[in-house]
Amino acid sequence: MTLMHAESDRIYRIVSVSGDGDRHRRLLDMGFTPGSEIYVAGYAPFGGTVLVSLRGFSVALRENAADLINVECADGL
Amino acid sequence: MDYNIALVGNPNVGKTSVYNKITHSFEHVGNWHGVTVEAVSKDILFEHRRITVCDLPGLYSLTVYSPEEGVSRDAVCAGDHQAIIDVCDVNDLSRNLYLTLQLLEVGAPVVLTLNMMDELSRRGQVVNYRKLEAALGLPVVPMSTKRHSEVHILLSVTVDYIEHSRHKRRELPYLKKLPTEQIKTIIEKNAEKAGIDLLYAAVKVMEDDSYVLEKLALSEEQKAGIAALGEGLQDKLAAVRYEYIDKIMDGVIMSSVADEHHEMHEHYVHDVPLTQSEREEAEKRGDEEELKHIRLHGKIKKNEDLKRRGFSGADRIFLNKYLALPLFFVIMLAVFFVTFGDYMPGYWMKTGLEWIFDNALHDPVEKGLTNVGAWNWVTGLVTDGIIDGLGGVLVFLPQIVLMFLFLALLEDSGYISRVAFMTDGLFRKIGLSGRSVFTMLMGFGCSATAVLTSRGMEDEKMRKKTVMLTPFMSCSARFPVYSAICAAYFASGKAFVIFGMYILGAAIALVYAAVLNKIKKFKSGEMSFIMEMPPYRIPTVTRVFQILWHNAKAFVIRVGTVVFAINIIVWLLSSFGVGTVDGKTVFGYCGDVQVKSFLEYFASAIAPVFAPLGFGGGEHGWQAVTALLSGLAAKEVVLSSMESFGGVDVIFGSNYCAALSFVVFTLLYVPCIATLTAIKKEAGWKWMLGGAALQLITAYVVALIFYWMGILFVYNAGAAVSIIIVLAVAAIVAAVVTHVIRTRNVCIGCPGAGSCGGSCGRKRKK
Repeated sequence: MTLMHAESDRIYRIVSVSGDGDRHRRLLDMGFTPGSEIYVAGYAPFGGTVLVSLRGFSVALRENAADLINVECADGL
Repeated sequence: MDYNIALVGNPNVGKTSVYNKITHSFEHVGNWHGVTVEAVSKDILFEHRRITVCDLPGLYSLTVYSPEEGVSRDAVCAGDHQAIIDVCDVNDLSRNLYLTLQLLEVGAPVVLTLNMMDELSRRGQVVNYRKLEAALGLPVVPMSTKRHSEVHILLSVTVDYIEHSRHKRRELPYLKKLPTEQIKTIIEKNAEKAGIDLLYAAVKVMEDDSYVLEKLALSEEQKAGIAALGEGLQDKLAAVRYEYIDKIMDGVIMSSVADEHHEMHEHYVHDVPLTQSEREEAEKRGDEEELKHIRLHGKIKKNEDLKRRGFSGADRIFLNKYLALPLFFVIMLAVFFVTFGDYMPGYWMKTGLEWIFDNALHDPVEKGLTNVGAWNWVTGLVTDGIIDGLGGVLVFLPQIVLMFLFLALLEDSGYISRVAFMTDGLFRKIGLSGRSVFTMLMGFGCSATAVLTSRGMEDEKMRKKTVMLTPFMSCSARFPVYSAICAAYFASGKAFVIFGMYILGAAIALVYAAVLNKIKKFKSGEMSFIMEMPPYRIPTVTRVFQILWHNAKAFVIRVGTVVFAINIIVWLLSSFGVGTVDGKTVFGYCGDVQVKSFLEYFASAIAPVFAPLGFGGGEHGWQAVTALLSGLAAKEVVLSSMESFGGVDVIFGSNYCAALSFVVFTLLYVPCIATLTAIKKEAGWKWMLGGAALQLITAYVVALIFYWMGILFVYNAGAAVSIIIVLAVAAIVAAVVTHVIRTRNVCIGCPGAGSCGGSCGRKRKK
C-alpha cells in the first residue's frame, strides 16, 4: 500500500521508498526512511495532496511523491 | 582580525532571525519556507574583531534541488568561512541534525545552535546539550532569538571556536558501514583534479548527486567499479545517518519535571485505571463515570502523542476537509473588513488624518500665502500640488500599514502554508501550485516585492507564469484610488465594491493561468510538491511593532520621494502652458491666464482612445488619462495627481459608470515600473513585455465591459440583471457538463480526485 491510499488519522510505518532521482533522495533527506512511523493527518479539500507528520514536523506531499512511499499500518487497529 | 561566518540550516529554523539579531538588520522573516532567497551579508564589530556575517537560504541537504539551495551549498563547500553556524530548530532536532552530519562530512567548521529553546520549554521539555556536544565534538549553543544575551553568547562561542580550537575533522562512525573507503580509492584522482574534497565526493557519489558526478567526470570503468559495490547505496546512506542521529539523540531531549508531574497527577490523584485489564473491568461493571474518564484520558494521551510526532491539533479545524476553504474566506473577509470597512480602526485613523490635512495644513497655509501676497502659482503649487497631492495619499497610511500587518500575521502564524496546502489541488488544475498562493497573496501588499518571493518554485514555467500574473492581484497602492472614488460615487456599497475589485483581480489572474495552461508552450511540467508545514506560532508584540514601523517608514519614504517628485512634475506640466489669448501667444500659469497646459495637449491627444471606456472624453478626460499615465511611476500617484486636479468628483462629474470603469482600469492596467523591473529580473524581457501587454489589453476590455454594462444598468436595470443571470447560468451549465464528461471514468472516492489514473484501485464509475 502506498501513502496515497492510507486512511486519515492513522499511524503507518514506512516499508520502503521507491522511485529514483531527486524526488526519491529528497524524501530520504526529509526523514522518510524505512522503519520510521508517520501519522497521516488528512487530505487536501481538492484531493491529491496528503498531510503527514513524522519526526516532529508536518509535511504536505503530492500524490507523485506520496505514491513512492510504501507503508504498512502501525497503530494496531 | 577579520572573520567570515555563515548561517546555514534547514528552511524555517530562524536563520534570518538570528542574522537580524546579530547584525541589527531588518531582513524579511516569515513563518514559512524559503523566505530568504539569496545570500545576504553584513559586517559587524564584535569585541574588536570585524566579522562578516552571511545569511544563506535554507536547505535540507547538500544535494540541492533549486538554484537558491545551490547558493548555500557553494558557500559551504567553498570553505572560505572560518566558522559555519548551523542553526537548528530544537523542536525538530533529528531532521536538522541530518544536515549537520552532511556539514561534518564536508569537514566544515561547525558551531551548532539549538534555536527556539523557548518553544521547547513551553512544551515542557528540556535539552541536555552537553551530551550532543560530546557525541558530535562541536560547540553547541542553545538559544532563543527573543533574548539578546543569548545571541551574544553565540557570537562569543563562535569567535572562541575560531581562535582557540584547532579545527579537526571528525570521524563519522556510520560511514564505516558503507563502502566509503573503496569509493574513495576509485575516485581519488578525479576528486583531486576537480578540486573537491575527497570524502565529500565519495558521499555524493553514493548519493548519486548529478552536480558532483558531472564535476568528477568518472570513466565507464570507474562507474562500473562503483556499481559493483552494491545497489541502493543512497537508501543505505540515509538510513545509517538517521540511525546514527537516533543513537546520539537518545536522552538529549527529555520531559521536564512539569510533565512528570502531569503523569503523576494522571495516575495517582485521579486514580485513573489506564491498563487494558482495568479498562475491561470497568466495562464489565458498566461504570459510566469511569469509562468517561478513561476516554478523556485516552484522548489527551493521543493528542500528546500526535504533538510529539509533529501534528498540531489546530490543523484538525483549519485543514478540515469541509471547513478549510470557508474558514479561509472568512479570515480574508475579516481582514478586509477591519482594514477597509466603515467605522473600523482603519477608517477612524484615516478620517483623523484627513481632518488634519484639510484643517490644520491646507487651509491655514493657503490663507497665509494669500495674505502675504505670494505669487498665485506658488500658492497653487504648495496647496494643490504638494499638500493635497501628498496628503491625499498619506491619509491611507493607516489602512495600508494595517493590510501589511495582517498579511505578516497570516505569514508569521504559519497559516499561509496551510492555505497553500488546501488550495494546491485547485491550483494544480490550472497549472500553478500551492506555492503560487504565497506569491499571489503577497501581491495584495506590494506587487514588486511579491514577485521576488516566487524564487524557489520548482517548475520554471510555473514560476514565470506566477510572476507575470501576480500584478493582477490588487496591491495596496491601488487601494486609495478605489477608496477615493467609491467614497464619492458608491458610498453605500463602498466595502462591496472594494472587495469586488480584489476578487476581480484574483479571478482574472486565475482565469489566465487556466488558459495559459491549455497552451502547450506555457504548460507547466509535472511537479513534485513536498512542502513542510511550519508549526503555528503566535507573533510577538515586538515583531508586530517592527512590522508596523517598518512598513509605515517605507510608505512615508516612498511618498516623500518618488510620489513627491512625480507629483510636482505632473503639477507643473499641468499648470503651465502656452496658448493664444486675444490673438497673442502667451506662456503662463493656467490659474492666471486662460491657456491649455502642456500636459493637456499631450493627454488630450491620446484621450480619445479611452473615450469608449467613459473617462477619456469631455472637458476633464485628459486629467483622468494623465493620472493613469503618471501612475506608471507608482500607483499612489494616480490618486495624488487626481487630487491635485481638484479631486475625483471634478474629473468624473456625474458619470458613475465612467468612475467604475476607471477603477477597473486602474486595477488591471500595467503595474508600476518597480514591478516591471522585478518581473524582468525574475522572468526576463519577454515575460515582462508580454505581461504588460496582456494587462493593458485586459484592462481595456474589462473596463469596456464594465462601462457598458453600467450604462445598460442605469437605463434598463432589468435587461442588465437578466444578462448577468443568463451568463451565470450558462457558465454553471457549461462547467457541470464538462465536469460530467471529464469524470465519466473516475474511480469512486479516489483520494487523487481522479488524477490517479486508476492506481488507487477503487472502482470506476460506469
